[in-house]
Amino acid sequence: MGAMAGISNSKSGFIIYLCVGYYLIMAVLAPGFFTLNNTMNLLFNLLPLLIIAIGQTYVMLTAGIDLSVTSIVAMCSVLGGFMMSSDTGLFQSEFAAILFGISTMLLGGALIGTINGFAVAKLGMPAFMVTLTTMILFSGLAIWLTQSQNLYNLPEAFIDMPYTSLLGIPIPVYVGLLVVLVAYFLLNRTIFGEWIYAVGANTKTAKISGVNVPKTIVLVYVFSGLCAAVGAILYTARLETGSPVMGQNILLDVIGAVVIGGTSLFGGKGKIAWTFFGALFMTLLDNSLNLLNLSFFIIMVVKGSVILGAAILNTVLEKSLKAT
Amino acid sequence: MGYKGLIALLGIFTLFFSCRQPKEKTLIGISFETLQTEYWVASIDALKASCEENELDYLEAVANSDANRQFEQVNNFISRGVDGIVIAPKDAHTVIPIIKAANRAGIPIVVYNRLPALNKGTYTTIVADNYEITKKTVRYMGDLARTSGKKYKAMILIGDLGDTNAVMRRKGFNDAIREYSDVIELVAEVPTEWNQEKALAGVTNALQANPDIGFIFSSSDFLFPSVISALKNADKYYPIGHEKHIILGGFDGDAMAYKMLKSGHLDVTGVQNVYYECDLALRAIMGILEDKPLDRILIDPGFIIHQQNLEQMSTYMWGAGLNSTE
Repeated sequence: MGAMAGISNSKSGFIIYLCVGYYLIMAVLAPGFFTLNNTMNLLFNLLPLLIIAIGQTYVMLTAGIDLSVTSIVAMCSVLGGFMMSSDTGLFQSEFAAILFGISTMLLGGALIGTINGFAVAKLGMPAFMVTLTTMILFSGLAIWLTQSQNLYNLPEAFIDMPYTSLLGIPIPVYVGLLVVLVAYFLLNRTIFGEWIYAVGANTKTAKISGVNVPKTIVLVYVFSGLCAAVGAILYTARLETGSPVMGQNILLDVIGAVVIGGTSLFGGKGKIAWTFFGALFMTLLDNSLNLLNLSFFIIMVVKGSVILGAAILNTVLEKSLKAT
Repeated sequence: MGYKGLIALLGIFTLFFSCRQPKEKTLIGISFETLQTEYWVASIDALKASCEENELDYLEAVANSDANRQFEQVNNFISRGVDGIVIAPKDAHTVIPIIKAANRAGIPIVVYNRLPALNKGTYTTIVADNYEITKKTVRYMGDLARTSGKKYKAMILIGDLGDTNAVMRRKGFNDAIREYSDVIELVAEVPTEWNQEKALAGVTNALQANPDIGFIFSSSDFLFPSVISALKNADKYYPIGHEKHIILGGFDGDAMAYKMLKSGHLDVTGVQNVYYECDLALRAIMGILEDKPLDRILIDPGFIIHQQNLEQMSTYMWGAGLNSTE
């Protein structure tokens, strides 16, 4: 048991070794993996996933789960597409279209997060049930609003954003960096961060200690919604399309990234750095298996197995820690 | 060594060994948005077989109907240093950033079976003449209706209207059916978004609202299981010659359609010549690599197959070579 606890205590070390070891092995095995081009590719694939997974980490730290992130991405993509597309003609100026488009996307994400948080914190509903319902509700709403049609003709400056650099660094990297820094600061340097850990570790104790539990829970879901909205901005710009099915298949990757990173499924334990490496590992896995020319079905089996393995390890470690 | 040391080692490793592995053969990246229907499975199999016949190496990736994943997979192909890309995209617009990525990398890209929306990129599209094939199919059905001397109420199952193929098939249907306004009245348009469940619900509802529908065109053969299920529930699924037979037409030429033609339940279907299209796609890539001038769109004229020419044309029908259960 002591050994198990030792491993758990060095969770961050474990996921870093896993990423580095996997990277080195794939550098030898997967042709084209070890190139500058592919490194950039990995970075761009990582960013939206990382941002959404950071929001999910906040929620899981409070022992909750946000299954609605996929529908938030879809809904925000549609809202942004509607505001920005020249087909709808809401704005004459490209700048105004982008400004209002991005603002609407962020507002939409925060609003859905508020609904989730309110239902979980104030109504006492299980997070799984609430977010599963809002996932279905907002996915359906996105499809109904667009009649299943994509929204095109977005402003040039918006769709060029992924390829535009400031001081030699592409804009999405700044966006990712900003989210990581804000998430890290809030979690590690503010009272709000302490409340999140306290709520996840033991709600009753947190309440007795004076933590505003409902407020904390609402805010983590709002943060998750905002992160999903930022992810939607990157996806929408990259695909040059506002789509009602955007992000439909990323839930496994998002939750997988957080769980593989080592954030406890039972709340109270987890770090932004762990999620970073969890998301990196998911991205490495997808990229390398693709380069190895494995079939789609095998890739799904491998990814599913890895996430299941991580979840089992997570649970075993949690139980062993409680036993010691 | 701590993890910081490992990361430093990784950096050094990347710096010194970041080079592409030499390739012996021409490498083609094949990216499909889905393998959900027999048509896509037959297509990817035919492409791989053509690659092997022409001694080309290939990489394959399937995006599970996720445009973002397809974008990432094509970027992976580019990292791997493919010489050409054949892509069956999710829709006409999300393929545009993929075309741009291939163009930026200077890699020829051939878009298979779905015409991209208007864009400034460099690409070649291989596409069946959806409009003409549908028009011929529906005209054949219309002639059957007129010959019978009866009046018909008609239904069309429409695909995903974000897909140019679905749009052109609908247009072909509408233009053809207009020529038969004396005997055919269109009473139901069922949106399916290329989804079996939506098709089943839509056809069931339409048959309840219009129990006398006697003429059905499905924009894809892969929707026939839903059509058959709804028709059986309404006691309307009978072979040609039976008084309750509904004039039935489709598009694609899959194994189900072949079986229905053989059993006499299907009157006609428009066939996309998968083998021809796949061969054309690879020849297009090779042509671009050899700097040969190519048209932006290469058309597969396709053909229609019906009870009269079934024996003669089934050799060219890709679905005839597959097994299917009705």
